[in-house]
Amino acid sequence: MDLRPLMLALVVSAACGGHDAAPAMGHEARVFAGGVIPPAGAPQVSGNPFRGDRQSAAQGERTFGVMNCDGCHGGGAVGWVGPSLRDGRWRYGGSDGEIFQSIYYGQPHGMPAYGGLLPPGAIWKLVTYLQSLEPPANVPTQSWK
Amino acid sequence: MTRMAVLTLLAVLPAGGAAQRGEWPMPAKDYAATRYSDLSEITGANAGRLRPVWSFSTGVLGGHEGQPLVVENTMYVVTPYPNVLYAFDLTREGYPLKWKYRPSVDANALGIACCDAINRGAFYAEGKIVYNLLDGHTVAVAAATGQELWKTRIADLSQGETTPVAPLVVKHRVIVGASGGEFGIHGWLKGLDLETGRIVWTAYNVGPDSEVLAKPRIFKPFYDRGAELGLTSWPADVWKNGGAPVWGWMSYDPDLDLLYYGTGNPAPYNPEQRAGDNKWTASVLARRPEDGTLVWAYQFTPHDSWDYDAASEMILADLVVGGRPRKVLVHFDKNGFAYTMDRATGEVLVAQPFVDVNWAKRVDVATGRPVVDSTKLTGASRGNVKHVCPTLEGGKSPASPAAYSPRTGLFYLATNNMCMDYQATRATRIAGTPFIGANTPYHAGRGGYLGAFIAWDAGVGKKVWQTTEPFPVWSGAVVTAGDVAFYGTLDGWFKAADARTGKVLWRFKVGSGVVGNPITFTGADGKQYVAVYAGIGGDWFLLSGDVRSDDPADVRPPADFMPDIARHTSQGGIVWIFAL
Repeated sequence: MDLRPLMLALVVSAACGGHDAAPAMGHEARVFAGGVIPPAGAPQVSGNPFRGDRQSAAQGERTFGVMNCDGCHGGGAVGWVGPSLRDGRWRYGGSDGEIFQSIYYGQPHGMPAYGGLLPPGAIWKLVTYLQSLEPPANVPTQSWK
Repeated sequence: MTRMAVLTLLAVLPAGGAAQRGEWPMPAKDYAATRYSDLSEITGANAGRLRPVWSFSTGVLGGHEGQPLVVENTMYVVTPYPNVLYAFDLTREGYPLKWKYRPSVDANALGIACCDAINRGAFYAEGKIVYNLLDGHTVAVAAATGQELWKTRIADLSQGETTPVAPLVVKHRVIVGASGGEFGIHGWLKGLDLETGRIVWTAYNVGPDSEVLAKPRIFKPFYDRGAELGLTSWPADVWKNGGAPVWGWMSYDPDLDLLYYGTGNPAPYNPEQRAGDNKWTASVLARRPEDGTLVWAYQFTPHDSWDYDAASEMILADLVVGGRPRKVLVHFDKNGFAYTMDRATGEVLVAQPFVDVNWAKRVDVATGRPVVDSTKLTGASRGNVKHVCPTLEGGKSPASPAAYSPRTGLFYLATNNMCMDYQATRATRIAGTPFIGANTPYHAGRGGYLGAFIAWDAGVGKKVWQTTEPFPVWSGAVVTAGDVAFYGTLDGWFKAADARTGKVLWRFKVGSGVVGNPITFTGADGKQYVAVYAGIGGDWFLLSGDVRSDDPADVRPPADFMPDIARHTSQGGIVWIFAL
């Protein structure tokens, strides 16, 4: 049986169904911190407005504790049940915008979305804090005597 | 056999009815939670000739806690998340699979489970394998075919509840609980109908009597008087996020018709946010399995200030205490004390430290309360409280259940020899995120070693022998009628010890650290076999992140108190079987 006419019909009907744009986020369901869903359409992501600002990093560090980030990522973001955020390595990307997106929308495997609780400025200060942590020299070898 | 003997025998059979000698149908082998087997082929004289006869990779990395089941020549294995259930045919060469069941499990559970994505095992009853998925569901699977019979949502991930606990099935009730002491849950126990999975009752561990199922004239704690103890021992409303999770082991006395289980820590770890005793956190509760009614309760650590969950098993034994035969419950608490209690009333008969303890001077058995050293009390206003023994990993981890031999009269258990500093901070509850409020680095206890395997006389409260280990010991124990005890170590050795002297008779390197519980069973050929999981994890997933090699985007330094564990082991997931 030739399925091509059927396939064509499906493609055409999908195109006519008004779904001409990809969804903003195609993903597994996220956990929402405090049960609050982030507002649709994250703020236009460009660079971190606070990059390198010590005071913003200090405010971000406080937020890291108050919002219970340390409960999963460990004090000082050294890693706990959640991954280390100070090893200079990033599962979902380490650029300004990528870290922001991970906090705002959450990530699979239980990283909660904080975009419903934290204003963008507070998230940028968290990004600033994480960027302020000096990653260790990237020596991939562990050795014993 | 007399009629009385038949009735007695029936009383100790599991819900499945037909447990044969040499089977292992439930997590602790029997309702008394003894982890004792009357198999005696392996003895002190021949254990040195043990050898591996089979192994299987589960395909999952992560803490392999819990234990296999063996029923009717089939071995059942539950993996950590994603909670695959394997059924091995022990009658065929190479033990091929009969079937495997791959449930759908919400991956978000990985970020809600406090301490690795572990599972503590399944229960066999009436042709069903019953167990919990990490994401808050209980399932029943047909033991013969692997078909899913029912699946019930029991817990709410969005509130911080996850479900690694092994169920106990009593009288057509499937008893389950939830973890989440680090997420500010309102802890509970539920009773499900074995046939349908329907939730029949829910009993909260804290809160008003109506929710705790504490009824006038029925609920009689030995040391406490008055009503609404689960409310009056808390500040207003704080109990609603007060923890008291259920993540350890359950036991059951058919004569008394009492189900026993321990509750976890109060939330948050900063005790200044929750003035009062915080009942019934860090407690043992005795309930009727049919409807959940609370009969008695006892709190091991009132106003817990050190994360001393009481989730460890309650082992039921008949011992001579103070010259009198007593029906007792024996419990090795995280707080470092071993308790021997009257299991009908909740009276403490003996309470002695089984490791170095300094947060309390002793337990006053007249009042049931620990005599606390006030310099070890913690709280956000007290700063960094130094050198508290034991650590919040426990003098013994509840994850590693003890065994009891009626032949030697001794209890066998893995212990930790560590102390901690405890810096509490104020914590804010945000649903779906952790609710902790403490930083608690560890250091080695007196002697410098980090763990030991010990034998304990619970009639008098004394250690009989001890084998020290360089690392914390986190495996369960099994003991046999051959007077051999088995345990595993964090650096990946599986060991057989003489139950009377502690002498290590045999050891084998199993490929990854052991945090699971060994079992022993009779094979289809009539021989005695011993099985155990290898797969370091649980708290060690958090504490020794350098044993992990599966994520190039998450590379951590070693723990300062245990800098060389990764020299000896890394993550794994292996089922081993040994025999002579």
